[in-house]
Amino acid sequence: MHELLLFGQVPQSRHEQVLKILAGVAAMQPRAVLERHLVYKPQREPEEPGSHLRRGGTQAIAMKTKAPATARDLYFSQLVNSLTRDDFDRDADEQAEAFVATGESAADAKWSYQFHETPDTGDRGVLVRLAHNTELLSGDPHSYMVHLGNQYVSEYYLEGHRFVHDNIIVLLHRVLHESGVRPAPGVSPNTALPSFDSLRPLDPSGGYVLEAKIRVQDLNNPNVLDAGIEELKRLKSQMKGCVELNVPDRLLLDTRVKYKPNLGPSAGARPAVAPR
Amino acid sequence: MSASGSVTNVALRPWPTSSRDKLTPLEIHAQIAQLTTERGHLRYITEESLQNEIDTGTDPSKVAKNDAKDDKEKGAPTRQERLMEIQATGRNMYTKLEWSTFWTSNMIDLISLILSKDPSKRVDGAFSARFKEQNIPHGSYGLDKGSSGEENDKGALTREAITLEKKKRRLVGMGSRMEALDKGIDDILAAANELETEVRKETRYWSEILSVSEKGWSLQKLRKDAPHSPFAVHYGFQEASDHFKARRMAPLRMDKDGGIILDPALSLKPKTLRVRVTADNKVLGTAALPPTGDLSDLGIEKSIQLARDSLFEEELYHEMSMERRQLGSFGVQLRDSCIHLPVPDLAGGPTSKTILIDLVARDERPVDDYRAMDTGDHAEDWLAEKTAEALRTLLSHEHHMRGHRRAQIPPPLTQHRRQNPAPPLLRTVLTFFHHTSAVNVLQKYLDRTTEVLNSAGLVVSGDIVRETSWAHVTDTIHTSQASELSAVDRLIEGVLKPFDGVATLTLPSSNKARPEQINVTIRTYMGAPIFGAEYKVTLPPSLGNVLDLPVDHPREFRFTSTPELESYLDWIISLDLAHTLVPREYGARAIIADMIPPRVSIWTKEGKEGIKKDLAVELERGIIKLNFGIIQTAAGPTGGGDFSWDGAQGAASFREKVKEFTDPK
Repeated sequence: MHELLLFGQVPQSRHEQVLKILAGVAAMQPRAVLERHLVYKPQREPEEPGSHLRRGGTQAIAMKTKAPATARDLYFSQLVNSLTRDDFDRDADEQAEAFVATGESAADAKWSYQFHETPDTGDRGVLVRLAHNTELLSGDPHSYMVHLGNQYVSEYYLEGHRFVHDNIIVLLHRVLHESGVRPAPGVSPNTALPSFDSLRPLDPSGGYVLEAKIRVQDLNNPNVLDAGIEELKRLKSQMKGCVELNVPDRLLLDTRVKYKPNLGPSAGARPAVAPR
Repeated sequence: MSASGSVTNVALRPWPTSSRDKLTPLEIHAQIAQLTTERGHLRYITEESLQNEIDTGTDPSKVAKNDAKDDKEKGAPTRQERLMEIQATGRNMYTKLEWSTFWTSNMIDLISLILSKDPSKRVDGAFSARFKEQNIPHGSYGLDKGSSGEENDKGALTREAITLEKKKRRLVGMGSRMEALDKGIDDILAAANELETEVRKETRYWSEILSVSEKGWSLQKLRKDAPHSPFAVHYGFQEASDHFKARRMAPLRMDKDGGIILDPALSLKPKTLRVRVTADNKVLGTAALPPTGDLSDLGIEKSIQLARDSLFEEELYHEMSMERRQLGSFGVQLRDSCIHLPVPDLAGGPTSKTILIDLVARDERPVDDYRAMDTGDHAEDWLAEKTAEALRTLLSHEHHMRGHRRAQIPPPLTQHRRQNPAPPLLRTVLTFFHHTSAVNVLQKYLDRTTEVLNSAGLVVSGDIVRETSWAHVTDTIHTSQASELSAVDRLIEGVLKPFDGVATLTLPSSNKARPEQINVTIRTYMGAPIFGAEYKVTLPPSLGNVLDLPVDHPREFRFTSTPELESYLDWIISLDLAHTLVPREYGARAIIADMIPPRVSIWTKEGKEGIKKDLAVELERGIIKLNFGIIQTAAGPTGGGDFSWDGAQGAASFREKVKEFTDPK
């Protein structure tokens, strides 16, 4: 599945207004969305770029070798837990010991696994990226991720409202995070939720992000893709003057795990390069 | 030249004396210079000579000139002089010609400039080069025709005529001024009038708009380029199907008096749904129709309301006639724009009725074939009424559901377009009728069977739940609070699903402590895969033994018609009586003989030999028949007989009768 995306920014002062305008555009009341995102990355460290290329000569007898495999990119992935405000203000003893996914069907699943690839390079006027979304209906999502070979990195909360305008999913949201020290990678996330009031917006000004998304099953069908892009662009021109929707730099949505050279004493003669 | 004549008449006057006696050196120099030119060197100008001049009256400066002139006149003109004169005259003439050319070209320029006002005239060529250089814009000079009146004055008019003329003019002036004032006042009055009507118009329009708005209709501002209808009223339904969605709005235009003009969309004949129940070509009941009345002269709010109602009814009829196409196999027909919906007897009887649904204009009652058959009977009014209400509720629910579905996260785009399924309106009503009928038939059967079994001294109880989800209606309402759907919608959503009823009947052989039951599930859906009502009978394990079924057999049997089910249940109960109840009473003495009809043989010690007594139990149409079979004795077959229970109280019990037969005293 692929996603076509456009983004816009809404300052906090205009949030109410934009919410009302969107309700008019989509002809529906906003649906509150509150999600907890747990970010995972593979336990394996990424290889040094270019390390698969042969360096120097070799004494091996020349023989047919396979073409050197290109270094596989490693990606971050997420677990998403959809919550309500009521979930936050529970007592500590009421909260579960471990994560448990429940749900009868995909529609009412509370947990889902999300994977987004770095957006495509092509310029189509909208951002196109590969995305996977798997609803988890039972079991412990965290241990599922760990057993898949991932490690927990960090978490954040997403608060906002969702609209559906024909095929477009409009999400007016902002990212919140728990104020305090981030747990070191590898530590499992806290099963207990913090109190909602202790969450702080990541953007100190409290601004919101408007995300307009169309999901497309298959990019191979140009008619479907064009119809989707057309619909998004229609929304863009419709919202002109209210929210400017545009295509951000694709590398801002990069989900690849960056290579960090090992700076420990075992690094040997490798020149120390300051990590970016 | 020409001036010479007049100069002679000029009297010389002394230089105007300066008020000051003292002359500045500069002035003195100027005086001296003048004297020098007039009278020669200063040395020869003495008082005497000046006095002499005064006395003789000669002016030296003039004398010199006069002398020269005199010389010319005196001497005959020489040839040289004549030539000079001719040349001078020539020059003079030439100058005059020059001047006339100059004036003429100026005149042409002026006229061309005046003419240049008219764009059809080409005057560019007529301008002189000099004029063109000045770049005077075309048409910048105007000319007006008119009499200046100067000429008349110049004419030889007498004094009286002049005064008369003046008086006339004054009168004309006064008259025209009065006329102008008159007209001015008229204009102001007209303007005031217009303003007043305009204000009244606006007031009326706005008050009507306000009253429309106060009634709760949502108003919408229209485009700016519609000057007489700034507002439009929304009266349709947000979630109506596309065809009807386009009709949900009407502009509110202003008429001459400021009232709101009824839009064609609002002044359409309002329609309403008519639901009638017929049987045997007789109308047995009609759903209440809205009251008729003169619809031509109604307030705007009423018109809007009627339009809204009509729109809803029309959509309902449209959806039903579309849905009818799929329901042909259930006997739903469309004849003369009238939907015929067959209804089974709800009580489970054999008679059936037909519900007629059509769309009629609200203010008239069209006469059709059934009109003549209207017996005035209102026995089935309730059915028609409830059917109409149910259909309306279902469409309204469908509107809600469309909104709900629209707000769900859409599936990813694919080649296949999403299409909205037609709402099940008739199907739901039809399913409900069939389910009710089926459940009622079963209920009747259970009642009769329990009654007859009880009368035979066998304690059984039957119970029936018409629709399982209705048993938990309150739970549904409570749980729906968390959901996005309202309780009502959730409730109706339950009706759209196949209906499930459950009936239980305890077995006569089971004891009270551990009752064993036959479960009958009735599932009704007018569509795949059931196409009607279906009964599923689940037998208890004891009957499984009796039927010699494997232990892991689900012991479920499906039936699609009521007679089949009834006959099976009759047989199963008789089987339970003969093969479970009797052996339990008699132990090893009872030997199962036959299954159809259920028969059991009981060994009885009669005298010295045991004899086998046959016993057949048959339950059929609410009557238990106990058939005492032929007794095989040494002397040959004897005895036999029948006993039956038909539900009458006071008869001997089943067990007593069996005992009486097997162990007669």
